[in-house]
Amino acid sequence: MISIESVSHDIGISQIFSNLSFCVNKNEKLLILGKSGSGKTSLFRLILGFEQPGSGNIVVNGLNLDKDHIHQIRQQLFYLSQDIDLKNEIILGLLTDIWEFNFTKELCKEEINQQLTFLELSPDILQKRTRELSGGERQRIGLLIGFLLDRPIWLLDEPTSALDDAMKKKIATHILSLDKTMVIISHDHCWQDSSVRIERWS
Amino acid sequence: MTIAGRTVRFESKGGPSMGAQDLNIFSLGTLLIFLVPILYISRYLKLGINREIIIGMVRMCLQLSFVGLYLEFLFKFDSPWLNTAYLLLMISIACHSILKSSNLKLRIFFKPLFFALLIPFGIMLLFFNGVVAHIDNLFEAKYLVPVGGMLLGNCLRSIIIGLTHFYSGLKKNEREYLYSLSLFNNRTQALKPWFKESLVAAINPTLASMATIGLVSLPGMMTGQILGGSIPIVAIKYQIAIMGCIFYTEYFSVILSILFSLKTGFNAFDVLKTDIFQNDRN
Repeated sequence: MISIESVSHDIGISQIFSNLSFCVNKNEKLLILGKSGSGKTSLFRLILGFEQPGSGNIVVNGLNLDKDHIHQIRQQLFYLSQDIDLKNEIILGLLTDIWEFNFTKELCKEEINQQLTFLELSPDILQKRTRELSGGERQRIGLLIGFLLDRPIWLLDEPTSALDDAMKKKIATHILSLDKTMVIISHDHCWQDSSVRIERWS
Repeated sequence: MTIAGRTVRFESKGGPSMGAQDLNIFSLGTLLIFLVPILYISRYLKLGINREIIIGMVRMCLQLSFVGLYLEFLFKFDSPWLNTAYLLLMISIACHSILKSSNLKLRIFFKPLFFALLIPFGIMLLFFNGVVAHIDNLFEAKYLVPVGGMLLGNCLRSIIIGLTHFYSGLKKNEREYLYSLSLFNNRTQALKPWFKESLVAAINPTLASMATIGLVSLPGMMTGQILGGSIPIVAIKYQIAIMGCIFYTEYFSVILSILFSLKTGFNAFDVLKTDIFQNDRN
């Protein structure tokens, strides 16, 4: 599903990684462990086409990551960034925009409420602005967007770092049970499940 | 406005008030007296701006004298080609000045900006001359040059605000933009919030001045026309027309300057190019 073929990447003069190669199969869950600064987030930025590698190839679902395929590729990716960089707007408006733009049909209130209950968020949160949310709430809203978009490949960057232990466990178990291809960056133990392939970066 | 237009011409040709009285060059020079206390106070307060004051005054005098000379030249020949060429040159200078103030690279943005200005500016100018003022020769220097100058001068400010707001805002909040891009998978949709903010910021000053015009200040064009011998009601009609034209031109040129610049400001992966700024003060 995702194949990284001898990719090297530098930002300025510092080399982020060189000759990196690995593969993630369909519906496989890969957890990347490594110290901060080892280029984990940069890897996501490369897969999303936000940065271009110095050399090597990235193939997502059989499509070469280049300017002709970038939109087809992004259409399959759900990215949860570390800080959930959502614009400061009313959550409901944001969700409606994202939904209507991706599916050209009206947002189903029931589905949102169902997900909110699972994420243990009160429906009042939909009337708040992004900046009014706590870190944990933001992360859960980020995940809510992921559930709604339902894209096949998930790139999760510290998806549970601001949640309490019980919530971490609940969410990790649920997400890992989904039929999705996933690359996860997380220091939380809840993701180190037997169904997850672990890759350690130095 | 037909009648209004003709009235102006009739009066300027030899009505009872033959335009403003010419200013004697020495009387004009007497205005410099007031510069003496200003320079003295600035020096006493150690403002460190005396040099700038003098340079500013000298530049203003030289530039305006120069404008006076070539306007006489333009008016004398009154050739449509020459007038159009002059306006195109003005647009080029405006683009240069806009990009310099917006801290954006000339090489990357000159062409899109040129057309973003030319299209609404050209349409509005010809509309004003042809439909509003009913001038027989659409390219008559007497109308084309001053009205064109007023439109351009006002657009300059709003495009600078618009472009600066848009590109600096994006640069500062790049992560938010990229995150939106990943969710929408569409550049236009992801850029929408910045586009809306920039447009509002750009036209706000004009909206504010439209709302207060006449209450506090008499606009320059009107003052000029009244001094030039027009009756106030004619001057006011022109002022209303020009304010409308300024607002419309600003609105469309800000939209177009952002839209046209997207093609060169972003790479094929919809990411803001890193080398678009003249320097990295952003």
